[in-house]
Amino acid sequence: MMLRSLRLPLLVSTLLAPLWTGAATLKINGSTTVNLPVAEAAEMLRAEQKMDIQVDTQGGSSGGISALGDGLVQIGMASKHLSDADRAKYPKVSFKEIHIGEDAVALVVSRDVWESGLRALTKEQVRDIYEGRVKNWKQVGGPDRRIAFFNKEPGRGTWEVFVHWLYGDPKKAPQVSLPEVGGNEESRNKVASTKGAVSQLSSSWANGKTVFALALKSEAGEAIEPTTENIATHKYPMSRPLFLLTNGEARDEAKVFVDFVLSERGQALVKKHGYLALEQLKK
Amino acid sequence: MRKWKNNVFVAVTGACALLSCGVLLLIVGAIFFRGLPAISWNFFTEQIRLVGAAGGIFYNLVGTLILISTALVVCTPVALGVGLLCGVYGRHSRWRERFMVLLHLLNGVPSILFGILGLIVFVKFFGWGKSWLSGGILLGAMILPTVTIALIERIESLPAKYLEAAAGLGLNTSQIIWSVIVPQSLNGLITGSLLGLARAAGETAPIMFTATIFAGATLPHGIKESPVLSLPYHIFVLAQDSFDPSVGEKLWGTALVMVGMVVLLSLIALPMRLRIHEEAYHP
Amino acid sequence: MSIAGWKRRATPTLLFSFGFSAVAVLFLLMMLVLFLWQSIPVWRHEGFGYLFGKQWFYRGQQFGALPMIYGTVVVAALALVMAALVGIGTAIFIAEFLPSRARLIVKIMVELLSGIPSVVYGLLGVLFLRNWVYAALAHFDPLSGDTLLTAALLLAVMILPTIMTLTDDALRGVPSAQRTAARGLGLTHTETILSVTLPQAAPGVLSAVLLGLGRALGETIAVFLVVGRQDNQWPSNLLSLRPLIESGQTLTSKLGGSETHIAYGDPLHWAAIVGLGLILLALTVAVTMTGIRLGTRKASDA
Repeated sequence: MMLRSLRLPLLVSTLLAPLWTGAATLKINGSTTVNLPVAEAAEMLRAEQKMDIQVDTQGGSSGGISALGDGLVQIGMASKHLSDADRAKYPKVSFKEIHIGEDAVALVVSRDVWESGLRALTKEQVRDIYEGRVKNWKQVGGPDRRIAFFNKEPGRGTWEVFVHWLYGDPKKAPQVSLPEVGGNEESRNKVASTKGAVSQLSSSWANGKTVFALALKSEAGEAIEPTTENIATHKYPMSRPLFLLTNGEARDEAKVFVDFVLSERGQALVKKHGYLALEQLKK
Repeated sequence: MRKWKNNVFVAVTGACALLSCGVLLLIVGAIFFRGLPAISWNFFTEQIRLVGAAGGIFYNLVGTLILISTALVVCTPVALGVGLLCGVYGRHSRWRERFMVLLHLLNGVPSILFGILGLIVFVKFFGWGKSWLSGGILLGAMILPTVTIALIERIESLPAKYLEAAAGLGLNTSQIIWSVIVPQSLNGLITGSLLGLARAAGETAPIMFTATIFAGATLPHGIKESPVLSLPYHIFVLAQDSFDPSVGEKLWGTALVMVGMVVLLSLIALPMRLRIHEEAYHP
Repeated sequence: MSIAGWKRRATPTLLFSFGFSAVAVLFLLMMLVLFLWQSIPVWRHEGFGYLFGKQWFYRGQQFGALPMIYGTVVVAALALVMAALVGIGTAIFIAEFLPSRARLIVKIMVELLSGIPSVVYGLLGVLFLRNWVYAALAHFDPLSGDTLLTAALLLAVMILPTIMTLTDDALRGVPSAQRTAARGLGLTHTETILSVTLPQAAPGVLSAVLLGLGRALGETIAVFLVVGRQDNQWPSNLLSLRPLIESGQTLTSKLGGSETHIAYGDPLHWAAIVGLGLILLALTVAVTMTGIRLGTRKASDA
């Protein structure tokens, strides 16, 4: 069998590998949201410049921050700002946030909720739903159905942006026990296949076919949809920056990578995956 | 009346059998038909691109092969040691009973606990980060009972006349072991190994914290910070993080390759295993 | 086998054998010791409340494992009942009623299928089973397709081959002389099975069932993907069936999830996670030991 006869040569080459790997490996870890353009950028650099780049998405944004802090990676990926607590945990690390694009977190609902006419929620309504005081959609203008809230895992950038909007500080978020979802696709899949479902999801993933992004009602009662315009002007409250994180200034391979992502080609990748490139943001 | 009861019973148990076979065939069929479109020469020789949406699974195969080879190398001496202890040195003593208990206990330990143990020992204490060696050692420990018990069964079913003849020729115990027992029981060792490797190839939990990442690794260099890609972890991540149609086919293809690998390894072991089995139960 | 006159001299082979055997023993001991040691902080923090507490909120430093123990036990027990009924029935059919050729084919098929990796089962669960369960239970208005029942069904299919094979072994291990005698007395095939073969094979069948239970308790990946991962689902009424169609959390789904990564740097949280591993270890050791005890009480020879 072909595969088994490869084993011995592979083992031997594994043992000999240290002899020929020259450049250092660039390791990147963090948010699954940021991962999409970053992974593709890594592929391009691997193919064109023969760079050795490893990308992983263990633990989401928090995982990216702690991996960078623990010195396990050179670049972290995060879809949220670093908090004071994050910086305090790694006092010796000088975190540098490199802005590479912008995304928004939307509350997406399943088809039956959307088609009942519900298009927007206020902050108070979302808070009531999250904390379990409101259990049925009809209480907020939707169909008569139990609310199935699929909560993003705490630690995910998406979740932190959500609670930041609701409570101002992730630490102030109350303890809730809701079914959990992990990655963006699990979130989308579960909302799409369940009636009366809602979850936090990167707005670029709301395809308008199986899951639908709600608008958020401002204090004045205006429904603000997560459009490119609203996200760029920060009118939509749950917009969030996409960061590459480094410890101090990026050097060597890390610098090559960061420069690439900030270049035209890299920014095109950011746009390709549904996010806003830097040039689209109006400060 | 009694005949009627008999027929009902046959029907009921027959229905169970039909249900079992039906379910199992359905599963294999689903994997086979959904995965087949993805299988091509390219699938095996290219690496992952676009977060799983394009390319093949070459380095995942390589990674899994590295892991199970290491597991085999780690496991064989211990299996041999315990096998000789139970089958030769401690043949009629309480040691055999004690070690059988030990092996059954080890066999019953959930695979996730091997992963947690690896996290404590290899990642925390040794500071290896994610390493192929940790994965190999943990998998080796996990399959130890399978390999050892197959070996012991084989040793114990060796005809006494071989050993008496050897003793009669003046060979001492060590010589008898290496010139008679080990060669004769080799197929037990091989059978057990194949079955163990089949199991190890499909395990995710022991390696997901300690040895494998999703993308970017090719061949490991050194021991520390040298993860590998793997087939089961690939499926695990994609099952949560991507249901794009473009990825779906590749996902099933990977599942098919994995199941194929397991089936192949088990099939090779089957004739020997059935023979040992029959000899043990119906001498 | 008794090699006349072999003495225990410290040959290299002997040292090799004893040495490596010690490695095996030490490994298991190390696992136990490390889990105990690393989980000490949470025992100190919660005391027995850790086992019986119903709330798990890691950010509030509250660690109660009871809902997860409940989830683990319920999912495993349900899976076991389903798998045992169908598996033992199947084994009886193939061992007693099928001609030996057909029996061999079915046996081989089942053996091969028992090797399907758990992550593939998880995939099937996520893409198919949870939607079927959701549709089937529509009348009862479940929240979603991720329920304890879904996990139990998936597990049942996973442990079915194990129970089937071992029960088949146990049944075939009953001496045919017994069966012939019973038939000679005029019993029908069914009556022979029910009153002679099955009771004789009972210890082996029980072992098979316990082995299946052990596997069901410890399965992580497949359960993780379909159980819903909702914490603190402690039912207000233990006897009600409602929790089965709600989401839940098991020890394994918690361990395999993101909290293990988050807990890594924090001693108390980490201790709580390792403590869950300890509880799981204790459960599986208990089941395994019971299986061994029952297995050694073999039926007497005819």
